[in-house]
Amino acid sequence: MKRIAIVLLIIVAMTNISRAKVDLVTLPSRDTVQLTIYNSADMTLVRESRALTLKDGANKLQFSWANTLIDPTSLEMLPKANADKIDIADLTYPPRVRNLGLWNIDSSVSGKVPVEITYLTSGLAWRAFYMGTLTEDEKTMRLKGYVVVTNNSGEDYENAQTRLIVGKVHILDQIAELARRQYPYGRPGEAIMPPTPTARMEESRSRGIVMMEKVAAMPSRAKEVKKEGLSEYFLYTIEGTETIPNGWSKRLLSFNIDQVPVINLYKYEAERYGPSVVRFLSFKNDQEHKLGETPIPGGMLKVYRGVGDQGHLSYTGQSSFKYIPVDEDVELNLGPVANLVVEPKLMDFKTENYRFDRRNNVSGWDEIRTFKIEVRNTRDINVKVEIKRNFNTQYWDIDNSGDFGAFEKVNLNTVKFTLSLQPRSIKKFEYVLRTYHGVREENWRP
Amino acid sequence: MNDKRNKLTAIVLLLVCSTISYGRIKLVALPERAATMIRLDNPRATLIEEERVLTLQKGLNKVDFSWKGVSIDADSIRLRALDHSDKVTLLSVSYPPNEAALVWDISSDSDYAETVRISYLLSNIDRLITYKAIADKAETYVDLKSYLVLRNFSGEDFDKARVLLDYGEAFEQGIDHEETKQMLFLKAPKVPITKIWKFDAAKLPWDPEKLENKNVGIPVSYRIVNEANSNLGKFALWGGKARLFQDDGHESTIFLGEDMTGLVPVGEKMELYIGDSRDIVVTQRKMQDTRVVTRKNNRGDIVLYDTNEQITAKIENFKDSPTMLTMIQHIPGQWDMESCNMKYEKKDANTLEFEIQLPARSEAGPAVKELKMTYHRRHLRPGKEPQLPVRR
Repeated sequence: MKRIAIVLLIIVAMTNISRAKVDLVTLPSRDTVQLTIYNSADMTLVRESRALTLKDGANKLQFSWANTLIDPTSLEMLPKANADKIDIADLTYPPRVRNLGLWNIDSSVSGKVPVEITYLTSGLAWRAFYMGTLTEDEKTMRLKGYVVVTNNSGEDYENAQTRLIVGKVHILDQIAELARRQYPYGRPGEAIMPPTPTARMEESRSRGIVMMEKVAAMPSRAKEVKKEGLSEYFLYTIEGTETIPNGWSKRLLSFNIDQVPVINLYKYEAERYGPSVVRFLSFKNDQEHKLGETPIPGGMLKVYRGVGDQGHLSYTGQSSFKYIPVDEDVELNLGPVANLVVEPKLMDFKTENYRFDRRNNVSGWDEIRTFKIEVRNTRDINVKVEIKRNFNTQYWDIDNSGDFGAFEKVNLNTVKFTLSLQPRSIKKFEYVLRTYHGVREENWRP
Repeated sequence: MNDKRNKLTAIVLLLVCSTISYGRIKLVALPERAATMIRLDNPRATLIEEERVLTLQKGLNKVDFSWKGVSIDADSIRLRALDHSDKVTLLSVSYPPNEAALVWDISSDSDYAETVRISYLLSNIDRLITYKAIADKAETYVDLKSYLVLRNFSGEDFDKARVLLDYGEAFEQGIDHEETKQMLFLKAPKVPITKIWKFDAAKLPWDPEKLENKNVGIPVSYRIVNEANSNLGKFALWGGKARLFQDDGHESTIFLGEDMTGLVPVGEKMELYIGDSRDIVVTQRKMQDTRVVTRKNNRGDIVLYDTNEQITAKIENFKDSPTMLTMIQHIPGQWDMESCNMKYEKKDANTLEFEIQLPARSEAGPAVKELKMTYHRRHLRPGKEPQLPVRR
């Protein structure tokens, strides 16, 4: 439904403006409309062009938006021709009327004038959505990216140029809240709540938008989505125009890339993931992986695996992931698995180097633990396994032996072993960890 | 005028009459309000100045000033004779009980039609300032516009008033009760901006790997200096909400973000936080934090110790343009730096600021720099370790 209405009132009796007799002259329709939709906040920048018929002298233009979610403080009108001859004197929000703004325009030209009206609205949203299809050997994946645009703004946007912003925009107030205000700028004396830091950080995902995905009639060719960087954001422009009636959603293909090389990465960290190994699918947003032109906006990825020659699929899992800059590694958490096992076992424990204080109480000692770690790959593909071990002190020495792969000290109390395993193979390694306690900490040397 | 609300200021001239105590007699002569001025130069209170012509008689005159439906600070009301200030004297002011009113005792040495100016503080009428800035595509300058938003919820309609801010010319503007008016009052084209990326170790998470699927955005701000070189610098810029847009190169704009600015005096800087960059990634880790005991008491308990600490911060620039990252690190208490591979400026006793120049991403991948600082905190006492004002 069209809810935004523009009425041009031309003042006939010029003498007494406050009680002027007004004539309703034209009701200009929207010529073009452009939507720039954000997903880090419930916000859309709408830019529409309309042709107004102005008269020489004072003109009043009434803009109303009942039942929409427009932020009235964001309203702006700019003449696109004769800008020097048209003065937009003020924008008035009249008393005791809601959802209405009145522009007072002094024009020294008469006739048609194209104007551009911009405002922010809430209720339109977009999200990224991905589908991955692994080959049977799980070496490569076909990755399809989609964008789903949803319109719950209360307004029908017909033939709108649709643009999407990827990025995290700082906003102080929710547009929906501004739209609901009785007075656009509030009343004097009302406490303006300073934004709390948590509200800033919080991504407003909990919008409770009812998704009603509808398969749109596909033309012979899927529309292209042009991507370009602007400031800290990326702008996706969907080819042509879209009509998204209120309440509807539309899914559009953003990219489709075949044979993205993937690494089957498995992680084990008892403190974080529990006793099971967690499967990750890893690739990089770079040219080597046929990607890397633009960052990948965060979203949900559903992963399937091709089975057999008949094009059958098997569902592997799903993972939501964060925004991935160009050249960054992607790690998609597909959940715990049982077909890869990491088993740490404490093989030996002893203490030594006791120290005693003046009253002969124990004041320091060392603990020595020998761990054996067995990694079993029961799958018939190559895998990479990352094992993290956390120690509850920063006073420690380690001695690794066996097939421990690459060793790295991550931070003061975490180490990481990275191993590669052939299909259906087992690797074993050992480490001896000495931790220093009490006054023995003083004997520790980095 | 009759259909308009004019709750304020029934001014009544009381003829010198017998007794005031028994039922105050209010006598006619309702002088018209002449020139009205709304002074918005003080952000905390709005001063109304209005001129009226009082018909004064020789001798003592009682003038009753009352109001209803509006909120006036009674102690703020002032009266000033404009025509015969030396011959018309305000003798006293009395406040009748339980009434929003006051009575002026005015002595006049002759019959005059005297123009007086009445000033008072009126509540619930004020102004806001908002800013709208459009940056060019390269983000080197902004076209800055500022709007004045008049809000009148005072209960009083102002048909025609002179509105005065703390600078510039007064202008004529009518505003009704419950009306809000927005006007453009400043246009500054091509105001140079500096773009700033800032990582504050006390405010942002250190290790993005530990966050499940969440990006750590590096806050990005625009800095504007209120000076003549910026096409500004004529007056202090009032605080208000600023919305920033950017020219997208397709005859349109995108919304970059918004922030609230405080008052910016001439010569000072305005910093507007627009949004977060997710193309710069900082991974900060503590690689060492050990105690070096310097003193024990007779029981063998540690009473004084130093620390050996090492912090590393890997900075990756995934952007295809070079960037200067401002990194803030904090070390509480007494400390000395053993080694640091980057130059820093000590902003205060516990704050270190690094300006880190990052080249653009290359074929080989992101541009990477790593800060490594090793320092000692000194003379710490168990249980009495100094804390930073901001803790992660």
